[in-house]
Amino acid sequence: MSAKPPPKCPPPRDHPLLEKVKQALGGAVLSHGVTPEGHLCVLVPPDKVREAATAARDMGFDHVLSLSAVDYVAEGKFLVTYIFASYINPELRSQLLHIRAEIPRDNPRIASIADIFPSADYDERECHEMFGIQFEGNPHMGKRFLLDPDCCIDERTGKPLYPLRKDFKIPEWSLTG
Amino acid sequence: MLESLRERIRRFLLKTLRLEILFKWGIRWSLWPVHLVTSCCGVEVAHTAGPGFDAERWGVLPFHTMRQCNVILVEGTITRKMARALRQVYEQMPEPKYVIAMGACAARGGLFWNSYHVVQVDTVVPVEVYIAGCPPTPEAVIRAFIMLHNKIKGRPGPYVEPVRVDIAPPKPPARPAPQQTQQAPAA
Repeated sequence: MSAKPPPKCPPPRDHPLLEKVKQALGGAVLSHGVTPEGHLCVLVPPDKVREAATAARDMGFDHVLSLSAVDYVAEGKFLVTYIFASYINPELRSQLLHIRAEIPRDNPRIASIADIFPSADYDERECHEMFGIQFEGNPHMGKRFLLDPDCCIDERTGKPLYPLRKDFKIPEWSLTG
Repeated sequence: MLESLRERIRRFLLKTLRLEILFKWGIRWSLWPVHLVTSCCGVEVAHTAGPGFDAERWGVLPFHTMRQCNVILVEGTITRKMARALRQVYEQMPEPKYVIAMGACAARGGLFWNSYHVVQVDTVVPVEVYIAGCPPTPEAVIRAFIMLHNKIKGRPGPYVEPVRVDIAPPKPPARPAPQQTQQAPAA
């Protein structure tokens, strides 16, 4: 397994939304870049995620298109990625806003943005189930949402296993067994 | 007493009056499948039931509730969560009932063969006919129903003989032996 992990932030370039984001977040922007598709990508500290979401809502983004995580298992980090999009504002229709935050893998906790963007609720519940990230403030943490209630549970300890983590082993009861 | 009398009447009707043939004929020409569309195979079943292929020529009428149907067409991947629903649907159906597993996902997981959440259909319900393909063509679905006809009839076949295809890569042509090149003598 010598595959190089993907970069956490694409190379920086000028972007029309960058000034607005920097104005709203102040010094909280750790690094920024522009994806090959031309969307702005901003890396923020994990305790500034709610401010970033509020800033995105004030800029006119009205829903969370995607909320997921990337497992950097060699570094012991999770990169939680939020993608904001807009249906209503015509000038933002061609834009997506990526906001990323890096959290430690052994204590994965991050603030929930489900009360700012209600469309993030299901994504947070799925991300919690697949990666074991605790979204603090979401009332559905610790419950099964997509997975079977009997599936992906450690037989010895009874604790849930998280199937999209890189160190998850395909269990014996699956079709490969 | 009543039970044994009923059993004797039943046996008389089925065996002596040869009503079993009539029953089987009736079942054979009214195979109504209930869709369990969990993947893209449902599109092919829609083709099968449409006017082009017209599966009603063989008595196959896709219907919407399992309590009026006698065939489940499992069209796609069955996850562990969906397996509960499949078992419930199967147990709600009246006898006689049959299961057709359609596509690579239902047979052996298909694309999701090493997933943490996918089960094989025959570990959940007994499967009568498998259809190969990803997704299978409407002709293959009709062929599966004809195989089910013959299975109900008690006569095996006509199974489709598998065609052996040699997919091994062709051997490269024999290369001429490398010629001994004259090496310049070391000075």
